[in-house]
Amino acid sequence: MELLIDLVTVLMMGTSLAVFAFRQYRWSIAAYALQTLLLVSVFLIQHFKYDAHELLIWSFTAFVMKVVFVPLFLWKLADKLGVVYEHEPVGGFFISPVVALSFSLAVAMMFYKVFVHFSIFQDPLPLFAASFIFMMGIFGFVLRNSFLKQILSYCLFENGIHLSLALMAYNSHELVEVGILTDAIFAVIIMGVLAKRFYSAYESLDTSKAINLRG
Amino acid sequence: METLSLILIVPLLCGALMFVMPVWFKFLSKLHILLSLVVSSILLLAVGEVVRGNELSAFDHFLFLDSLGAIFLSLIAITGLLVNVYATTYLKWELEEGHITPKEAKNYFALSFIFTWTMSLSVICNNIAFMWAAIEATTLASVFLVAVKKDKKSTESGYKYIVLCSIGLAFALYATILLYAAAHDHIQGEAMLYTNLLAGAKEVDSMALKLVFIFALIGFGTKAGLAPTHTWLPDVHAEGPAPTSALLSGVLLKCAMLGLIRFYAIVANGIGFDFVESVMLISGTLTLFVSAFFLIRQHNVKRMFAYHSIAHMGVIAFGLGVGGAIGLFAALFHCVAHSFTKALAFCSTGNIARVYGTKDMTKMGGMIRIAPLTAILFGIAICSLVGVPGFAIFVSEFLIFKAAALKEAYLLMAIFAVALAIIFIADFSHFFLATFGKVEGEVVHGSEMKLGENLPLILLAFLVVAFGVWQFDSLTFLLDESVKSIIKQ
Repeated sequence: MELLIDLVTVLMMGTSLAVFAFRQYRWSIAAYALQTLLLVSVFLIQHFKYDAHELLIWSFTAFVMKVVFVPLFLWKLADKLGVVYEHEPVGGFFISPVVALSFSLAVAMMFYKVFVHFSIFQDPLPLFAASFIFMMGIFGFVLRNSFLKQILSYCLFENGIHLSLALMAYNSHELVEVGILTDAIFAVIIMGVLAKRFYSAYESLDTSKAINLRG
Repeated sequence: METLSLILIVPLLCGALMFVMPVWFKFLSKLHILLSLVVSSILLLAVGEVVRGNELSAFDHFLFLDSLGAIFLSLIAITGLLVNVYATTYLKWELEEGHITPKEAKNYFALSFIFTWTMSLSVICNNIAFMWAAIEATTLASVFLVAVKKDKKSTESGYKYIVLCSIGLAFALYATILLYAAAHDHIQGEAMLYTNLLAGAKEVDSMALKLVFIFALIGFGTKAGLAPTHTWLPDVHAEGPAPTSALLSGVLLKCAMLGLIRFYAIVANGIGFDFVESVMLISGTLTLFVSAFFLIRQHNVKRMFAYHSIAHMGVIAFGLGVGGAIGLFAALFHCVAHSFTKALAFCSTGNIARVYGTKDMTKMGGMIRIAPLTAILFGIAICSLVGVPGFAIFVSEFLIFKAAALKEAYLLMAIFAVALAIIFIADFSHFFLATFGKVEGEVVHGSEMKLGENLPLILLAFLVVAFGVWQFDSLTFLLDESVKSIIKQ
């Protein structure tokens, strides 16, 4: 069982790199759907391993909302806008994933031991993967210019948090997971609407063009 | 039905009702004011219960209202009501000038109730993970209150708002999860409940608590506008409609600050006050000087007030950093004083933009002759913001000096004084530029607004002065009880 969960979480890390690095939106969205399917598998494995009934429900809601709904929504959005390839990210298509990968690994190395120390399920690799995926999402926001890619980055770090929640606080009040998941879904929908507006206004999803306001 | 349940249901129902109403602006405006009154009355009813010494709780302590929450709930009720009333006037002007459509105005009214609902929920959550979810929901509910129009600038502000706040708040969720994990084996009862965490904080690992507080500061600090993660705030405040900016600055930032204060209380009770005070002092000082630096260079009146919001979040952080009973009292009082003041300030920018058709202060001048009441209201907001005696913000800033003096922290006093002096000079130079002298640009609306249109601003100005010269027993009670709840352990 332990080997299986380690394998699944390593695959999750691989898919986060794929979501980040693919130039074609459809491939990125598919990689995200796969990652979330793997996340659902982690919930199920943990459910059987630790007899954690809550995670069975989590796996069902995550499957419906994040494996099916969110990828479908993003796929349709990309279709509607007629966008296929992502714009050149900060640092270029090659450097950008390398930077994200190395820094995410470094940050995850820093924090995962703390998480392992306090976590309810003290599985080192899944906790490491959770921090890594979270950081890949954060770097997605920083390094990718495409609005759609940034929505996917949001989905990435949300998956990292969801995994952390399952490992560190699965037995908290059931409404907690509902609240966090609902927020995530609404955030994706609202960002999608904004992306559509953005595309209408700028005729592009390239957020580096958004320089009309000066902070 | 319990009051807390009403808080959960009524604003949501009002929002839904607004969404299904026909697009008839006059009717919608009146309904908006009426429903805002109903919502605020319910919120104040709950606050009244707490003032009478009862702590409200519902759904097995999942929701609760303590004295600390009651202070912030009263801000949602009072500031929220007055701003919502002003919103009907502001949107009427926007409609007349063709900046928005009646349907957009209807959506605005509906969303403002959903926004109120999310803010109220964030204040009454005892479950800290759900409190986080509610604070995140405030962002989602207010995105389209900011990005009302569909042009480039509006879309850009909405984009920056949701992206930066979502990233920032993600760290706060990590703080929440880590706190739960570190506490659940060591404290009695559900480890997600603030009350349990506060009571059992001493049992939680000190290193975990330190990390939790840093994450919480990054997360809630981003949403509250603390430097260096404040960058979303000037763009969003400057671009959104005046009532939205008033709500964001007057109420929303305080809800995020409440989230941070709850973590401050838990961590301080777990490992002592030294760590949290030091961190808040650094954060407060950095925020004050960053905002003061940018404040000097602003000519856009809304952007200027946006940097003010950042500065005053810095003041609150500084107050929490100085600490002690007086420092905490001052920080919490500052939340109240700044809420009324900033709502007045942003609402007056709505009037000013109507008079001049621009937000650029270099193209203004002579406001005292064109719209004297607006100029006076603008002046009251400025006087309070810079801490002139007799206005609400003076009280809290004076108390922060006093708290620092009692601790013999003279260096802190000097730092605070320098930051406030920069803000003072920047503000009055801007105020004189816009209010006196000759008109530098164009005057679009050459007369004062009607008295009825200015009424919410007059009431806000009254509150700004009243809280500067009078001590309200009910507020003092809530503040005292809140301070006790934080430092009693």
